[in-house]
Amino acid sequence: MSPLASTWAAEALAVFAKEWRCELRTRIALNTLGLFAVTTLVVAGVSLGPLGVAKAQGSALLPVLLWLILLFSVAAGLPRAFVQEEETQTATALRLCATPSALFCGKLLYALTLVAGLEVLITPLYVMIMNLQVARPGLLAAALAAGGFGLAAGSTLVAAIIAQARSKGTLFSVLSFPILLPLLILAVELTRNAVVGDPPGMALPQLLLYDASVSIFGLMLFPVVWNP
Amino acid sequence: MPKTTLHFEKVRRRFGRLSVLQGVTGTVTPGEALLVTGPNGSGKSTLLRCLAGVLAPDGGQIAYREGERDLDIGERRLRVGYVAPDLAFYSELTVAENLQFFARLRRVSPDRGFAILDRLALPTDRMAGTLSSGMRQRLRWAWALLHRPRLLLLDEPFQNLDAPGEEGTRELLREHLESTPGGLAVIANPSSLEIDRVTARLDLGR
Repeated sequence: MSPLASTWAAEALAVFAKEWRCELRTRIALNTLGLFAVTTLVVAGVSLGPLGVAKAQGSALLPVLLWLILLFSVAAGLPRAFVQEEETQTATALRLCATPSALFCGKLLYALTLVAGLEVLITPLYVMIMNLQVARPGLLAAALAAGGFGLAAGSTLVAAIIAQARSKGTLFSVLSFPILLPLLILAVELTRNAVVGDPPGMALPQLLLYDASVSIFGLMLFPVVWNP
Repeated sequence: MPKTTLHFEKVRRRFGRLSVLQGVTGTVTPGEALLVTGPNGSGKSTLLRCLAGVLAPDGGQIAYREGERDLDIGERRLRVGYVAPDLAFYSELTVAENLQFFARLRRVSPDRGFAILDRLALPTDRMAGTLSSGMRQRLRWAWALLHRPRLLLLDEPFQNLDAPGEEGTRELLREHLESTPGGLAVIANPSSLEIDRVTARLDLGR
C-alpha cells in the first residue's frame, strides 16, 4: 500500500475507533437501535406470532416486516453520526483536521458495524418468533449483508446532508425515501426468494450495484456538503 | 525565512439580511500579529472563521501563501491553528484521547500537544466533559499547536484563563511568532490587548 493510501486508511480507522469508543461509553445509538428493534419485534411477534400468519401469506408478508423493522431501527439511531458533531460543536475541529473522504469512510464503517450487529441480533429472533422457514439461508445472509450495507451507506449519506439543516427530522424522512426505496424493494425481493427457495435472479446484482453507487456518490458528495 | 503571507481583501459576509463583514482588508507577514478589535457583533469571529476556511465569505479574496504556492481553501483549512470559544472536543474522551485522535487525523505525533498541556498544567487523564472553561481553553491551545502551524488564528485567546494560564499562552504565542519558521497570527479580541509583535490593528467597530 502506498504511503498516501496508508495514512488515509489510518485516518478513516481513527474516526471509526473514535466513534466506537464514544458509543461504548454512552451507548446512545446502541440503546436506541436495540430498544426500537426489540420493541417492534416483540409487538410484531405478539400480534402476528408463529400461528398468526398463514404460511402462504408469511412468505409474502414476513420479509417486508423484517426490513421495516431494520429500516426504522436504523432511522432512529444512525442520523446522530453527523448531527451530533454539529450539535456538540465538535464539527469545527473535524473540519480543520480531517480529510473529508476519510471522515466519511470512518463514519460509514461505524454505521456498517452497527447495522451488522443489529441484523445479527434481530434476524435469528425474528425467524424464531415468526416461525419463518428459510429455504436458502445463504441467500438470506447475502440479502442481509448487501441490504445492510445499503442501509448504512444511504443513512450515513443522508445524515451528512441534514446535519447542518434546521428541520433535521423532516428532512431525513424526505431525503431517505427516494434514496432507500430502491434498496428496500430489492432487499425484500431477495429475502422473499431466500424464504421460498427461489434463485436470487437479478435482485442481488442490482442490490450490489446500488450499494456501490450510493458509496461512490456519498464519497463524491460528502466534501461538498461537509465543507463551506 | 520561509515565505508565508496572509492577505485578505474586501472580505464580505452576511447572514440573511444582516451584513456582518463589509469589505475587510488586511495583510500579515512572518513574525507579525494582526490584532482585530471591535464590539460584540462587529464580525471579529466571522472574519477568523472565513480566514480559517470554515466559513465561506460572500465576497472578497483570501490568499494564504506558504513557500512558493497559494494554498486553496481546503489546504488552508488543514494547515491553520485555530483557537475559538466555540471550539469543542469530545466530552466522552479524555484530554489525552482527544489529542491522540486529532493527532492521528493530522498525521502527526501527539507529543507536541502533550508537551504544551504539561506546560499549561492540564491533566491529560481528565474527561473532556468535566473540564472547566479555563481548562478547555488550555486544551484548545494545545490542539491548535499540535501540528506546528505557521498561521495561528486566535479568537479571544485568553478568555477564561487564570493568570498562570494567560502567562503560559502568551509565552506560546511569543514563541510562535519568534521561533516558528514563517509564523504569523491574527488575533481577535473585543478590546485591545498588549501583545508583543502586534504590527497592525484592524478595528471593526462601528
